[in-house]
Amino acid sequence: MLMLAPVLIVLGGLCLGGLVVALFRSLGVQILTGTGTPSLEAYRSVLGQPEFLRSLGFSLYVALTATILSTVIAVWAALLLRQRFAGRGALAFLFQLTLTLPHLIGAIGILYLLSQSGLVARLVYSVGLIDQPSQFPALVYDRFGIGIILQYIWKEVPFIALILLAQMQTLGEDYESVARSLGASRWQSLRHVLFPMILPGVLGASVLVFAFVFGAYEVPLILGPNMPATLPVLAYRKFTDVDLAGRAEAMALAVIIGAISALLVALYVWSVRRQGHPA
Amino acid sequence: MKPWIPAIALAATLTSHLAMAETPQDAALKAMTWDEVVATAKGGTVNMFMWGGADNINTYVSKTIGDILKSDYGITLNRVALTDTVEAVNIVLGEKEAGVLENGAVDLIWINGENFRTMKEAGLAFCGYTDVLPNNALVNWDNPAIANDFGVPVDGCEVPWSRAQFAFAHDAARTPAPPMSIPDLIAWIDANPGQFTYPAPPDFNGSVFVRHVFYHAAGGADALLGPFDQAKFDDISAKTWALLNELEPYLWREGQTYPTTVVQLNDLFANGEVALTFNYEPAQFGIAVQNGLYAETTRSFGLNDGTIGNTNYTVIPFNSPNKAAAMVLQNLLLSAEAQYEKARPEVWGAEPAIEIDRVSDEVQAKFASIPAHPSVVPAAVLAKNALPELQSDWISAIEQGWIAQVGN
Repeated sequence: MLMLAPVLIVLGGLCLGGLVVALFRSLGVQILTGTGTPSLEAYRSVLGQPEFLRSLGFSLYVALTATILSTVIAVWAALLLRQRFAGRGALAFLFQLTLTLPHLIGAIGILYLLSQSGLVARLVYSVGLIDQPSQFPALVYDRFGIGIILQYIWKEVPFIALILLAQMQTLGEDYESVARSLGASRWQSLRHVLFPMILPGVLGASVLVFAFVFGAYEVPLILGPNMPATLPVLAYRKFTDVDLAGRAEAMALAVIIGAISALLVALYVWSVRRQGHPA
Repeated sequence: MKPWIPAIALAATLTSHLAMAETPQDAALKAMTWDEVVATAKGGTVNMFMWGGADNINTYVSKTIGDILKSDYGITLNRVALTDTVEAVNIVLGEKEAGVLENGAVDLIWINGENFRTMKEAGLAFCGYTDVLPNNALVNWDNPAIANDFGVPVDGCEVPWSRAQFAFAHDAARTPAPPMSIPDLIAWIDANPGQFTYPAPPDFNGSVFVRHVFYHAAGGADALLGPFDQAKFDDISAKTWALLNELEPYLWREGQTYPTTVVQLNDLFANGEVALTFNYEPAQFGIAVQNGLYAETTRSFGLNDGTIGNTNYTVIPFNSPNKAAAMVLQNLLLSAEAQYEKARPEVWGAEPAIEIDRVSDEVQAKFASIPAHPSVVPAAVLAKNALPELQSDWISAIEQGWIAQVGN
């Protein structure tokens, strides 16, 4: 038990401590000085603002789209990388390389690449397809969050794929070989033998990705439109508002983001589990 | 979040109605000649509380200023570094609540904006002595951006130290004749669709730009000084939002989105997606050209109807035990030589708070010798048309109003 103490101090002290402080401040109570009377004013104010609903919708849309696309591509990539072909080593190396790069670097890379005056736009301009930056399609700072979603796909596909690859390696190919020898087609052995076995890994990884994307701040700030902003960006704006009442609202938003993440993750796990184990 | 900020705000409102009785020593100090003040100050120590996050600024204060103060006046300068100025305000406030009315720990604070308002309203500032300082004559108190600290009249409660003023930039090779006023800018945007945008408030610089349009809609800044006025705000903001919404289709990306930060606007400008950018610190334009981000032909300018500026100051707390020494330090900080040293880019590069043409020819020549970057509009040119900042209630209301009415 004593051996766990350092871990518990870090997890409990930093994560839970931060949550508790945020919760108290969102209720208008200064936990350090013990001043203020608890009230739901900040929550009432935040939930009553039309920008909250728009931000919530935008955050959900970005997080869901990025998660679904990343997961689908990652499963496909893992199946591909499992096979032996020329250049497989190089491809696998590229996959691992992405994991070491911070999100911030990726976001700025996307900006340089895909903005209306970015590298791609300049190439297209040099071959005469467009005459000025505004003719290039808006892929960053756009209201569909294309830049944000692309950045997360770039970063999260290798993450999910590597988890799956490790899992497939432990499973080996014996189960599928048996299925094939018993007359299953290639698709059937994938669908009924491999997929059910890797489902927990897919589920776990994609839930992580969803929770991360939903709560992430820096990529939407760099690549996203000003309006609608994702919830974390909105929370930061409230936090840095000159109006001090905004601080409590920022904390309320942070608590709401955490609660929604927890709720959606629980719902997701529950629904996929139910499908995975039919009664 | 700093837990003491609401506490200060609360205490400020509670104590604002208690008039401070002036001590006999304070009255005697204000009645002294400058030579008498200097004699009284001799041998004293000034505890100067200031934000300590930049080494060059710390060195300037501790070494450059501290050495002169010691050798010429026999005063010791003790610089106390803060991460946030509100910490110093909190010390003074705590002392007042605890009844420490004469022997406080703080003699001088580098301050402006909200923190000054708190000190003034809570009666924490020593006021009405600035005329005694000889170098006060170098300050242009007719400039509303000096006489008002973010909308709060200074009223002799603090002494200016440095200034900053908003300026626009354009590429002279691409946009030879940029608009020179807000009405011109509006007409220019209509004639050049897609070439202009501004960062969405509450971005600091974007918010300042919107305030320029707000001042224009109000017919000038004078009516907006002082406490927040809801009726006035409703009237002027309706006009402002109408103006900005009419502009929207002619902005970058038809105004469907706005840059989130001034950094994004700078990138758009650097890449030629928009023709204008702006900044509260015009020195940034020169740095961007030096770094190869902006074209060599980049030039910056103020507006004929004025650009918004702000000033930072030093304030003496009401309970400072070394007021005379603090006054000598304030006078030294305001001196032409100290202001010149501070303005040198390799020392600090801060814009002087004094009028250059009021100092000796010798120092004027020194100021003139400071290498000026061709892309940076001289502060003296900007200062000819300066507009004051507003109190924070106004700023917040404008930002929130923009988000609800324009940026949606």
